[in-house]
Amino acid sequence: MTLGTKNQDRHSFYLNMGPQHPSTHGVLRVLLEMEGEYILEPEPVIGYGHRMQEKIGESLTWNAFMPNTARIDYLSALMYNHGYVGLIERMTGIEAPRRAEYIRVITSELNRIASHLLWLGAFLLDLGAFTPIMYTFDDREQILDILEDVTGSRLTYCYYRVGGVSRDVDGTFVEGTRAFIRRLRSRFPMYDDLVTNNIIFIKRVKDIAQFTPDMAMRYGATGPILRSTGIGYDIRRNEPYSVYPEFDFDIPVGTTGDCMDVYLVRVREMEQSLRIIEQALDSLPEGPCMTKVPRRLKLPQGDASFSVEAARGELSYYLVSDGSDVPYRLKIRPPSFSNLSLLPELCRNMLLSDLVMALGALDLVIPEIDR
Amino acid sequence: MTTPNKLINDLRNLPATVHEVDYRQWGYHLDVLLEAGRVRGFAGMLRAHRFYLVFVSAVHTAPAIEIIYQFACYSRQCRILGRAAVTDNGTMPTISDIYDGANWHERETRDMFGVLFTGHPYLEPLLLPEEEADRKPLLKNGSAVKAADRIRRPNQAGIGTAEPHQGQERDQ
Repeated sequence: MTLGTKNQDRHSFYLNMGPQHPSTHGVLRVLLEMEGEYILEPEPVIGYGHRMQEKIGESLTWNAFMPNTARIDYLSALMYNHGYVGLIERMTGIEAPRRAEYIRVITSELNRIASHLLWLGAFLLDLGAFTPIMYTFDDREQILDILEDVTGSRLTYCYYRVGGVSRDVDGTFVEGTRAFIRRLRSRFPMYDDLVTNNIIFIKRVKDIAQFTPDMAMRYGATGPILRSTGIGYDIRRNEPYSVYPEFDFDIPVGTTGDCMDVYLVRVREMEQSLRIIEQALDSLPEGPCMTKVPRRLKLPQGDASFSVEAARGELSYYLVSDGSDVPYRLKIRPPSFSNLSLLPELCRNMLLSDLVMALGALDLVIPEIDR
Repeated sequence: MTTPNKLINDLRNLPATVHEVDYRQWGYHLDVLLEAGRVRGFAGMLRAHRFYLVFVSAVHTAPAIEIIYQFACYSRQCRILGRAAVTDNGTMPTISDIYDGANWHERETRDMFGVLFTGHPYLEPLLLPEEEADRKPLLKNGSAVKAADRIRRPNQAGIGTAEPHQGQERDQ
């Protein structure tokens, strides 16, 4: 946190990593004070992609803001949808039909897997392993096809509605999703052989960038990096929303909080997401997927908060209403913002090549930080 | 792990006005109204009770901007919303030495609302470029600023009879 105050008694120099560095995965700049190959002080510089989403949120009616939610974190768009409709439903007392809640859980978990698959490929690409991303994109492509059929988009979904979802799913969706579950399960052993047990991979990630529970608490870190330290905190379990309490799933945790544990937590999370999807498909209720919602619905005066577990951690919406249909204030708390803010403490005195691993483990989506 | 009742008593002794609210409608369990001078004590106490910081932000309301603090806990279901009006000269004591994560949240709040956090180690623009640092985009103009009681629930002052929340202890 000392931009421009160079360490006088050491022979240090500055290095800019980004804003166009391939491993920052977005327009993130890390200003590094270096001594040789070692980092004395890394300072993330953010805001390059700032779009003032919160201001837009208080300029449009609550309904018109819906498409924007998908563009904050484009890799977990459905979970951003979910948090927003959950918040409005909480404020207005509208309840979505059970079938809609099941569809939300299935599609959200598919979206989570897609996000984790992209992360897996990109993380390994940062390491210098070019092959895995070809395989993970192949798998991810299947999810995009499935979701495109029901939502109409491939990335920035705007599928959930206050009171349900915009389109019902059909037999093709159910069959396609079941086929995908079988497919991905058969691919996990291959990923294990290709990556998890690879000695070069292990040497690069073991004991690198250790997160601790205390650090997580001080910075408000959530998501897989928190769970890699052994704390099994997941909003789906600890502050249940939607129909998540009806499913049987585990919260994978690590022990040491290094990059290897973060990797293992994310891979196991994909397996758990498959379990949730499978159970939801088995017990998918019949009935409508949308309830009647008045066209112009005013938000009652007061405030409310709603949190969901997005792919990178806790996403929290906080809305203050003055009784009209335009929010008075909409605060969006993205997980990566808090997760990235611990980077200086995490990476002090680290090798430059390991910083790439630490950034990869955080699974940053810069537009969600900049908003 | 402390019980919710002990936490509520600790908060009331700060002193602060604490309301237990219905989680299903509000999305949080405790609504805590503070004076600016008590914010550091509030944060220190929550740190001791092992809460983590969800966010720090602000709402532009009359007569003064309100700073919003949200905390939650890894080990039990309890979400706390703290609010404190800024001092007469538009400042607020920093909590970034208690919760390191507040450093960025306070910088962002300074960008958006122009609130100065006293004691902050590095209160530079975070999301806005340097040349736009004084734009304060989330401040509202003139008549758009609503009084605090216009953005609260009509019965908010009288709450306290809401059902007590079930703080669930969870195994770690």
